[in-house]
Amino acid sequence: MNKCEVKEHWGIVYVPDKPPFPLHQQPTVKVHAAVIDPKHANTLVRKLNQILPLENLRHVKRVRKQVLDEGGIRLSMMLCLADESDDTQLEIIPQEIVDLINLYKLETFITKVCKYAPISKEEWIEQSKLWPTSYHPPTYNISGITGFSEEESLSVCTFMKQALDLSKCECQIVNAAIIVDPSTNYIIAHARDQVNSCSCFINHEHDVMVSCLNPWQWCNENSSSCSWHPLRHAAIVAIENSSERDRRLFPGSGLDESTDHLEHDLMLKKQKTECVKKEVVDSQSNNSLTELTRPYLCTGYDIYLVWEPCAMCAMALVHQRVKRIFYAFPNRKTGALGSVDRLQGEKSLNHHYAVFQVMLPQEKNPLINI
Amino acid sequence: MASSGGEETPEILAFMKLALEQAKIAFESLEVPVGCVIVMDGKVISHGRNRTNETRNATRHAEMEAIDVLLNEWKEKKHTKHQVADMFSKCYLYVTCEPCIMCASALSFLGIKEVFYGCANDKFGGCGSILSLHTTTTTTSDIGRKSYKCTGGIMGEEAVNLFRNFYELGNPNAPKPHRQLVQQP
Repeated sequence: MNKCEVKEHWGIVYVPDKPPFPLHQQPTVKVHAAVIDPKHANTLVRKLNQILPLENLRHVKRVRKQVLDEGGIRLSMMLCLADESDDTQLEIIPQEIVDLINLYKLETFITKVCKYAPISKEEWIEQSKLWPTSYHPPTYNISGITGFSEEESLSVCTFMKQALDLSKCECQIVNAAIIVDPSTNYIIAHARDQVNSCSCFINHEHDVMVSCLNPWQWCNENSSSCSWHPLRHAAIVAIENSSERDRRLFPGSGLDESTDHLEHDLMLKKQKTECVKKEVVDSQSNNSLTELTRPYLCTGYDIYLVWEPCAMCAMALVHQRVKRIFYAFPNRKTGALGSVDRLQGEKSLNHHYAVFQVMLPQEKNPLINI
Repeated sequence: MASSGGEETPEILAFMKLALEQAKIAFESLEVPVGCVIVMDGKVISHGRNRTNETRNATRHAEMEAIDVLLNEWKEKKHTKHQVADMFSKCYLYVTCEPCIMCASALSFLGIKEVFYGCANDKFGGCGSILSLHTTTTTTSDIGRKSYKCTGGIMGEEAVNLFRNFYELGNPNAPKPHRQLVQQP
């Protein structure tokens, strides 16, 4: 393996789950609020949490306490979301809230609260000036979010360098993908875009044909052979290769087998999901397959991509349960990991990976040498 | 995403029934029960069903299976890329569940004409539920993004019932925390 000699020129940047906003421009939403009598505070909080819990604003505190100039305190309470366009349309307030307003003779007003939970102490302080929020420092167990050790950084740039080398051939620059098991540093699968067949024998200049950048262009590229496929982007092919490897190395675990087998299966998955590190040291010197455990899809694996993937590939990597994605170049027009969409932050998905951009030294950018 | 509002023609219902047949085959094969058919000129030209457990490849959704059948067939017939693109633009997809973000993107890349689906997919849906990859805006049409018409709610209840039966058995391939049997009331 090639080592990255100029490690100090490389950088690994975490791509967070929500778009980064300037500290003083945190997105807000309008809510109905009311000044309340402190002796009703507990009752009201309990009732509101029952009738309207505001799931998407869990980071916003229900009650704001203000110290007044004349010494007293004022409590205000967030009631419900307000219409974003019009100001005082009482009719959009749910009936249960209206009942509460009438019962406690509340005078409502519209105010703004921060839409997203703070991701840093600085954001939290800034947000709370508007209306108090709560801050929970990240509790992820995905390694790398809070920084990489020197050894980890070195292997990240080594694999990214391999992906860069893979993306170039005589005639084309395409996207390339390498799936790695970081607990052993084994390469599980690698692939290049297979949307267009390679035509190195024609020997023309480097064509940039990165599928994820122009996924609608497949029918406009010339192709001399029949080995093309509009959907065979590098990540999709790499997933296919890894599942083929899985079937080859661990045959005979079809689903029509006994329950015992399924239980065994689940135990393996559990081990993988808990990221039990096994024989990491031995694996460097010993390539015996007996050390390998059967993977559950790509649980625990990393993927290295030269370009940020499109929505199809990014979602494929969710389905295949990849743990971390490293990419080198952003995909401004169709990227789904921060550029256009941000699948790592879509709460409804059943799996979430951590995303990192690997910043390369200038001379490693393949587009510069074209 | 438009809801059909009960205006399904007998033809639409007939094709959706065929897609449901595919979903039932998936169910019997212990796969998440989603099925689809692709229709051109009023004829079913391809069908597919989920094969994620069998292949250990979680991207092998019904849509991807049906698309690959077509691509193989058309390439064997030595059709050019332009001919293939032209044919996809005449294809209608009938699928029992709203295409996920991956499949909804793929259908746009291919330039499919229209999609009819059964139930909405409120966790992964790419045709309106989570993202809207079937539509274009001024910025996205600049980069050549292709839109397609999408109508949901065609025999959605039948599709949901299949899912319900499947998850009551427990998805044999789901990771442990998710494999809890639904308690019957």
